[in-house]
Amino acid sequence: MYRYDAIDREFVADRAAEFRGQVARRLAGELTEDQFKPLRLMNGLYLQLHAYMLRVAIPYGSMDSRQLRRLAHIARTYDKGYGHFTTRQNLQLNWIKLGDTPDILDQLAEVDLHAIQTSGNCIRNVTADPYAGATAEEIDDPRVWSEVIRQWSTLHPEFSFLPRKFKFAVTASAKDRTAARVHDIGLVLRRSRDGALGFEVIVGGGQGRTPYVGPTIREHLPVGSLLSYLQAILRVYNRHGRRDNIYKARIKILVAALGKEEFARQVEEEWSKIDSAPADLPDTELARIRGAFTPLAFDSLPARSETFEAAKAASPALARFARNNVKPHKKPGYAIVEISLKAHHATPGDASAEQMETVADLAERYSLDDVRATHEQNLVLPHVKLDDLPAVHGALEAAGLATPNIGLISDIIACPGLDYCALANARAIPIAQAIAQRFEDADRAELIGELKIKISGCINACGHHHVGNIGILGVDKKGEEFYQLSLGGSGQEDASLAQILGPGMSADKVPDAIEALVDTYLSARTGQERFLDTVRRLGMAPFKEAVYADAH
Amino acid sequence: MPTLIKLADGRFSAAEDVFTDIADEDAIPAAGAVILSLTRFQAEGDALVGAGRTVGVRVQPDEAVEDLAYDLPRLALVAVVFPKYRDGRAYTSATLLRQRLGYGGEVRAVGDVLREQAGFMVRCGMDAFAPADGATAEDWAAAAGRFRHVYQRAVDARPPVFEERG
Amino acid sequence: MKALTANRLIDGEVVFWKAGAWIERFADAQFFADDDAAGAAAVETAKGQPTVIVDPYLIDVVESGGGWAPVSYRERLRALGPTNEPTHGKQAEGGASVEAIRAAAGAARSTGRVDLIRRK
Repeated sequence: MYRYDAIDREFVADRAAEFRGQVARRLAGELTEDQFKPLRLMNGLYLQLHAYMLRVAIPYGSMDSRQLRRLAHIARTYDKGYGHFTTRQNLQLNWIKLGDTPDILDQLAEVDLHAIQTSGNCIRNVTADPYAGATAEEIDDPRVWSEVIRQWSTLHPEFSFLPRKFKFAVTASAKDRTAARVHDIGLVLRRSRDGALGFEVIVGGGQGRTPYVGPTIREHLPVGSLLSYLQAILRVYNRHGRRDNIYKARIKILVAALGKEEFARQVEEEWSKIDSAPADLPDTELARIRGAFTPLAFDSLPARSETFEAAKAASPALARFARNNVKPHKKPGYAIVEISLKAHHATPGDASAEQMETVADLAERYSLDDVRATHEQNLVLPHVKLDDLPAVHGALEAAGLATPNIGLISDIIACPGLDYCALANARAIPIAQAIAQRFEDADRAELIGELKIKISGCINACGHHHVGNIGILGVDKKGEEFYQLSLGGSGQEDASLAQILGPGMSADKVPDAIEALVDTYLSARTGQERFLDTVRRLGMAPFKEAVYADAH
Repeated sequence: MPTLIKLADGRFSAAEDVFTDIADEDAIPAAGAVILSLTRFQAEGDALVGAGRTVGVRVQPDEAVEDLAYDLPRLALVAVVFPKYRDGRAYTSATLLRQRLGYGGEVRAVGDVLREQAGFMVRCGMDAFAPADGATAEDWAAAAGRFRHVYQRAVDARPPVFEERG
Repeated sequence: MKALTANRLIDGEVVFWKAGAWIERFADAQFFADDDAAGAAAVETAKGQPTVIVDPYLIDVVESGGGWAPVSYRERLRALGPTNEPTHGKQAEGGASVEAIRAAAGAARSTGRVDLIRRK
């Protein structure tokens, strides 16, 4: 993985020192709250319902054990002993004091972590495939390009005060684990027919109040031209994106208003005027960054591990875990292990300091010191030997981290909702918990198969409800929490937006409604059809009928 | 009198503002250097410049600096307006003035100009600043020099990290 | 009735106004009659304390089963803490006033939603 050098470290230290000064000026009354707010947001610090919330960047979701242990230490020392992994592969701490934040940033900086650009109308932390460097599917390592974008976008002088926030996703696999088509820019690495590496450039996807699946504006951008092309896109957006209405300020609105062709034309025209030599990254620097992600020293192992097979045969729990949480690795004898942060009674995405330390220990001992956070709010040990899986599973079980439900109905994305968030209209966490508990039976969950439920506590859609197979949106209806269900969304390579099912309902009705949707699917599915496939084949009608039958 | 800070030869210093900023509804004084809106300049600029007056133009964020391309050699300054701190369009305006239009005169940041923006402004080629937060030239220099390293090339000549690593 | 609330600048803690001071428990908050000019005056005073608190505003409160509670469920959550972690925040101390807020179903013109607030 990418290691900071002295220059990167000095930069982060300068940033922490700058924020220390800004906090001092705020506390002394030299800055008003209106002036201070954008400054603290640029350092990921929000004022939420009960306290400040600090959003720590985990660049493209990649950490080592030292960093994860430090996050655990901060959670224990400055918070209430837990943190929340988000849909953008970041970590949020819910109970932070403003007065402690300069010290926290110093502590983060010591392990090359920071909260730079985790909020504000700037280029945010890049989302990348959590299986990068481990999956056989990828045609290049997306972390290389994510790191290129991280450096280029850090305090970018021209693009730090955009009309609105700006999010990138980078993937190099046919199976999209980044939700690239619902990001401001999605970059999908592809090879052309002659073998040249390039990006499919998707611009103007997004969720929020006005969701869009982003159109492709360029099928194959040569990788060496990435930064000049991004400069052209960002410049067109910075100049022409709307600034009069916060709900119409994202690039998706500009792309939709101009039309994909006209937007692409403006980008190409601007790009043609940019002097590419100074704008693009020199090959030497690209090679240096790529060098940080050279393939690790994997052992030569047989593809089949007798140890693992025997343990699976003896332990139904391990066998179930293997079926759902263990994914194929590019090297024989290794596996990718997903750690679910969706225990049925837990808060989706939350991990205690002790759990973080357990995962850090396992990463150090069994996964080449590498941990990933996924946009579905789980963690990944990307490089585990099959021989070690029984031991890893045992340690996860002891820490309450072995829930075998990756991709299943209880692997629910939920934003913090009104339990924490100042923007929320309704709670999301208790809805996720109620559904997970309803579908706690692991056999039944496996029978149902892949089913992605995503819950947002307000229209900003941090819980990705627009791309849930079942999306749930919390709304405030005359002073009461209400939940609007939608069906048929996907954030993956077959991206689509969910359609609203019908009238909203109170919280206590939601689990029954999900039950009705699942029963309809189970009785209608054919063959290996996923829930999403059945919805696409049958349309909304039978599902609507099942949920609202009582109302007739 | 608001302070004016100028950057020359890498040094920030307090400067006297010799320009009068003329609102569109106000009459242009008989003498002295003036700053006009783009519209007013396009209507009345020729006459003033022809009369030997020193003239600058105030560019709002929704106005294209490219519209000034042919007039730039005659302009004593271009003032890029920040109606709000959060409005970042002037960074692009300044960058284009320097990089694309080759403007070598003063590019002045006016409006909601706070020291927190100093580093970004300098990097985009602005060299005069009318701070709204009472910042002194020393404050400005400290803010602009806060970071020992920069990650990307910009209008200023600072070597980015990849050149430092060389 | 109304109460005046804000978040404390230094730590973000939810605070309530009581006779010129900021206190942490909703149960101790000073209530103003809806037409009491003293409420608006307190807001003005609070706005003059930008280094103490952030964003002061009045909330509606009603009597609920022997205690008082904020009307909106958002404000009830601010007065209690997050419902997914019943030991975190103000609710941790328990007691009659916390229970009164938890039980404030009627106060918020609602039937179903407080079912989800866990009771220990």
